[in-house]
Amino acid sequence: MNVFMQLGWFFKERKKQYLIGILMLLVVAGLQLLPPRVIGYVVDEIRLGTLTGAGLGRWLLILAGAALAMYVLRYYWRIMIFGSSVLLGRRLRSELFAHFTKMSSSFYQQRRVGDLMAHATNDIRAVQQTAGHGVLTLVDSVTTGGAVIIAMAVTIDWKLTLIALLPMPLMAVLTSWYGKMLHERFRTAQEAFSDLNDKTQESIAGIKVIKTFGQEEEDIDDFRKLSADVVGKNVRVARVDALFDPTISLIVGLSFFLSIIFGARFILNGDMTLGDLVAFNAYLGLLVWPMLAFGFLFNIVERGRASYGRIRELLAVPPDIGDADGAADASPRGDLAFDILEFRFPEAEHPALRNVRFTLKKGETLGIVGRTGSGKTAILKLLLREFEGYDGAITYGGIPITGYRKERLLEAFGYVPQDHFLFSATVRENIAFTDVDAPFAKVREAARLAHIDEDILGFADGYDTVVGERGVSLSGGQKQRISIARALLMEPELLILDDSLSAVDARTEEAILAALKETRTEETTIITSHRMSAIQHAHQIIVMEDGTIAEKGTHEELMALGGIYHEMYRLQQLEALVEQGGDA
Amino acid sequence: MDAPEQQKLTGRDQWRVLKRLLRYLRPHKGAATVALILLGLTVLGSVLGPYLIKTFIDDYLTPREFPAQPLMLLAGAYLSILVLNAVFGYVQLLKFQEIALRIVRQIRIDAFTKVHRLGMRYFDKTPAGGTVSRVTNDTEAILEMFVDVLVGFLQSGFLIIGVYIAMFALDVQLALLSLLLLPLIFLIMWIYRKYSSEFYQDLRERLSQLNGKIAESLNGMGMIQVFRQEKRFREEFGEINDKHYEAGMRNIKLDGLLLRPAVDIVYALGLILLLSYFGITSFSEPVEIGVIYAFVTYIDRFFEPINQVMQRLSIFQQAIVAADRVFRLMDDPEMEPAQPEQGDARIAEGKIEFRDVSFSYDGKTDVLKQISFTANPGETVALVGHTGSGKSSIINLLMRFYEFERGEILIDGQPIRSYPKDELREKTGLVLQDPFLFYGDIESNIRLFDGSIGSGEVQAAAEFVQADPFVRSLPDGYGQKVTERGSTFSGGQRQLIAFARTMVKEPKILILDEATANIDTETEVAIQKGLERMRKGRTTIAIAHRLSTIQDADLILVLHQGEIVERGTHRELLSKGGLYHKMYRLQNGILEENEAR
Ligand SMILES: Nc1ncnc2c1ncn2[C@@H]1O[C@H](COP(=O)(O)OP(=O)(O)OP(=O)(O)O)[C@@H](O)[C@H]1O
Ligand SMILES: Nc1ncnc2c1ncn2[C@@H]1O[C@H](COP(=O)(O)OP(=O)(O)OP(=O)(O)O)[C@@H](O)[C@H]1O
Ligand SMILES: [Mg+2]
Ligand SMILES: [Mg+2]
Repeated sequence: MNVFMQLGWFFKERKKQYLIGILMLLVVAGLQLLPPRVIGYVVDEIRLGTLTGAGLGRWLLILAGAALAMYVLRYYWRIMIFGSSVLLGRRLRSELFAHFTKMSSSFYQQRRVGDLMAHATNDIRAVQQTAGHGVLTLVDSVTTGGAVIIAMAVTIDWKLTLIALLPMPLMAVLTSWYGKMLHERFRTAQEAFSDLNDKTQESIAGIKVIKTFGQEEEDIDDFRKLSADVVGKNVRVARVDALFDPTISLIVGLSFFLSIIFGARFILNGDMTLGDLVAFNAYLGLLVWPMLAFGFLFNIVERGRASYGRIRELLAVPPDIGDADGAADASPRGDLAFDILEFRFPEAEHPALRNVRFTLKKGETLGIVGRTGSGKTAILKLLLREFEGYDGAITYGGIPITGYRKERLLEAFGYVPQDHFLFSATVRENIAFTDVDAPFAKVREAARLAHIDEDILGFADGYDTVVGERGVSLSGGQKQRISIARALLMEPELLILDDSLSAVDARTEEAILAALKETRTEETTIITSHRMSAIQHAHQIIVMEDGTIAEKGTHEELMALGGIYHEMYRLQQLEALVEQGGDA
Repeated sequence: MDAPEQQKLTGRDQWRVLKRLLRYLRPHKGAATVALILLGLTVLGSVLGPYLIKTFIDDYLTPREFPAQPLMLLAGAYLSILVLNAVFGYVQLLKFQEIALRIVRQIRIDAFTKVHRLGMRYFDKTPAGGTVSRVTNDTEAILEMFVDVLVGFLQSGFLIIGVYIAMFALDVQLALLSLLLLPLIFLIMWIYRKYSSEFYQDLRERLSQLNGKIAESLNGMGMIQVFRQEKRFREEFGEINDKHYEAGMRNIKLDGLLLRPAVDIVYALGLILLLSYFGITSFSEPVEIGVIYAFVTYIDRFFEPINQVMQRLSIFQQAIVAADRVFRLMDDPEMEPAQPEQGDARIAEGKIEFRDVSFSYDGKTDVLKQISFTANPGETVALVGHTGSGKSSIINLLMRFYEFERGEILIDGQPIRSYPKDELREKTGLVLQDPFLFYGDIESNIRLFDGSIGSGEVQAAAEFVQADPFVRSLPDGYGQKVTERGSTFSGGQRQLIAFARTMVKEPKILILDEATANIDTETEVAIQKGLERMRKGRTTIAIAHRLSTIQDADLILVLHQGEIVERGTHRELLSKGGLYHKMYRLQNGILEENEAR
């Protein structure tokens, strides 16, 4: 039951609604006692032959009045209590979403999307149930149960009541024992469901690979296994779950039994009338529901506790990259100085960067080349503050980048990632991603610079074409160029192209680079590429090798050096030159 | 998002959905029958209990006669019924839960299987989050229906019938009178169903949108953060969340107006009816108190199941709406191109021929126009052309990702449509433009589900694509964990792993869609050399923007806006002085200019 304590903050916040709702529930519980009592009186009067038409009419009117009042109250407490629980769901969901938006890459690296989604849907639903049905069931079972018991004791016979309630402690013991077993089983069952969600999510995301390799059947088999696991774990839950109802019925049945046996004795002794016994039994009948509800309550609450625990765990992970105290509320301008002694990705064994030092003057272009996995992207990720915890400093305009408010820092950066991600929205919305209200002319201008304008106009709906998730309905080069346009629209102080021209042909690449050179005279640019043609005009080129800078200089200097760069360059044109020689 | 799907579910649709759901019960006939019998027994038990008490009151308590033996018998019967009821009740509950879980598993598997039968067109237009939500969440809603609702309905049905039988046995007139309550209840149900189906559909739709938004935001969180759009996404999410909240409130109001509270009014009516009946009768003739007692109990017992039904009606509605969404996925007509399941057509040579193939994604604009070419066994055919010119689309057709109507694609002289899917998949290997890695480890990513591939082969493939050195340098080597989408690897490393995955199959037909675009030249050249060595007996189709990588191809096709505008070997094309020449000059022109500098 301590999930109610954990949710205390919410109940406090919605004190008014919950109190009114509970009050209404109490009144309903009281009103509910009327019918059995009325029945008792009527039965007695019938037995004694004292019932008159008017008397009967009066009783019936009371019944009708109570019924109407209950209808109204029952409607409103639902609004109060269930309404609050839906509100809690909304609160938690937006809190969780907001939390997600604050978490950095290292958080996402350790978790899976399907899992996080399961938290945001299933777990929140379970908590919502606790705050709604859980509260209701608790109040209902306690009040209705309590009221019925008091009525039995006061209006009929307290001794008989005590006797009838004898089996109840046994029930309390049993149900709380079941509840304990349930908790652990729920958790594993919910985890199995998360796994299934992960699997489904991934299979759909990787559908093209699965199709390519004709592994549909195997994938389905894998899914089958996971679903079987879900079934198994849930059967374990069911084994305990199914205990509640029979146990409760058994115990209530015992109560009936005791009450009749002892009730009969009391009647014989003249302590009670037959009508009393009938009414007493009617009361006992009223106890069935709150008792069953009690079992139900355990179910809801344990589920809610398991889920709320999972949600709280998630919310408790602190955002690791945020604004430092007194961070400058300014956009960075000026020179970029990169001075990293060592950087390791979280949980990685080897450092991804070692002794990387360079300065980039405002308005200049830096080219980064190097073998696959040599740390080019890692440099950019540090710059973008996607990862932190490095040994060294990165300063922009003389201030460490951690000294800027993150938001202000990033507004200066136009980033085109290596693996482009587009949202399922129109082309226009994707390009105007950072500035939803950007005038159309500006959007087109960015598209033109990225040499995608023509392509877009060729689409069936032009700029209003909806690109599927991740831009599935575009060609590789189109996706890349839309990403470029998206970054250019910001007119960023620093433009970062991470191998962003790999899927475009030479002509387009050349055109885009020329356009950049022309329009971006004052601003800084960083380009990483495997194609030498993309970076050879840069003011400065660094050659990465195994996480560190192996060579640094201009194209000419590096060519003259005759090292790695020269070799890479030579390789790239080797065959071409051979061919050319043969051709000429 | 998937708004157009939100058609109204008519009563008949719901009935159809329900029937289809019930069909899933068939394989569980045996277990269900057992469970049903047990259920019947427990219902019988719970009807018998009050009857025994009534007997006690009327036959023994009222006349104040207490013969020991019959009373012991009565007590014994009551207690045994109690215990048996508990046992039967447990087994029955568990059985139904098991059946329900199995049914949902079956529905899930069916839905998931269907997902794999869908063509790429479906995935082009459907957000992944929505589909995931259907396979997992919507089916979960069906679970509750089988666990709670069906059993609840059945149980309630039994109870109601049992109660009625008992009432008829006691007093025919009164029983008939209480039958009057039924139409009232049905009326309430009917009104409820009418509105709730609409409301719940709305709610589920909102939920699906919520899921879709969460899924997409999580996937694109990196981009959202770099571009500082957190606030906007929070707001957008907030809007959907609000709509979902409103839909939830609407449902609560509806439930409050028409479910339990309304039924309790009917209950009060029943009591009033009962008391007036007995009261009025008592004016003229004596009434057995035991009968009143029994009727009061029965009315209680009668409304207990009715209330449960009403309580479950909302779950039922949700389940029907959810099931409808799942079934719609299962019935989606966007199937993958048909291929014979069995057949003995085999790809022996690997000769590929395109004859006048034209193709359009949307049925309006052709992205491929009259494509014809032949790739002979052992040859390499290269596709070049500007971005968006249709290179990947040619491969999409060859891989049967999309169906084409015009023209013909032949492999070894046979239409591609005549090969069984397995044969095609086994003999063709494609390295996709966008590498995709699965959660798991490196070895499992290269092997995928193919258990026949040993560790040695995995390693050999990795060596071939030059991935071995970097994999070995990882702490766990080939067992190194791969997180979702391979986020802890560099772009080129991902591409290499995806490449190795294809090479380990040693395909007869190898298709490379810019397989080395994100890889450095040194590695690329090494891979190229490897491929050259293995050219014998393998047909290769390669797409590359770096012309240097494909210039020794046997045939180069130059695509321009979906048409093959030039074809020939590198030399032939250069001497033609056309588009290829221009592209080539451009690449080398830059080189020459630099040489000169
Ligand atoms: N699934 C799809 N649905 C609709 N249109 C598509 C789809 N895939 C590609 N297209 C369109 O078809 C055209 C050709 O695309 P394709 O992917 O074949 O180009 P490509 O030659 O491979 O280009 P790139 O070199 O950029 O990869 C493009 O205009 C693209 O927008
Ligand atoms: N999130 C991460 N966690 C752990 N290791 C990582 C992570 N991201 C990258 N690495 C590793 O760090 C090294 C440098 O990766 P990086 O992405 O910077 O390479 P790169 O030079 O950009 O290569 P490419 O040319 O293939 O894009 C690689 O060995 C990579 O496996
Ligand atoms: Mg990189
Ligand atoms: Mg392509």
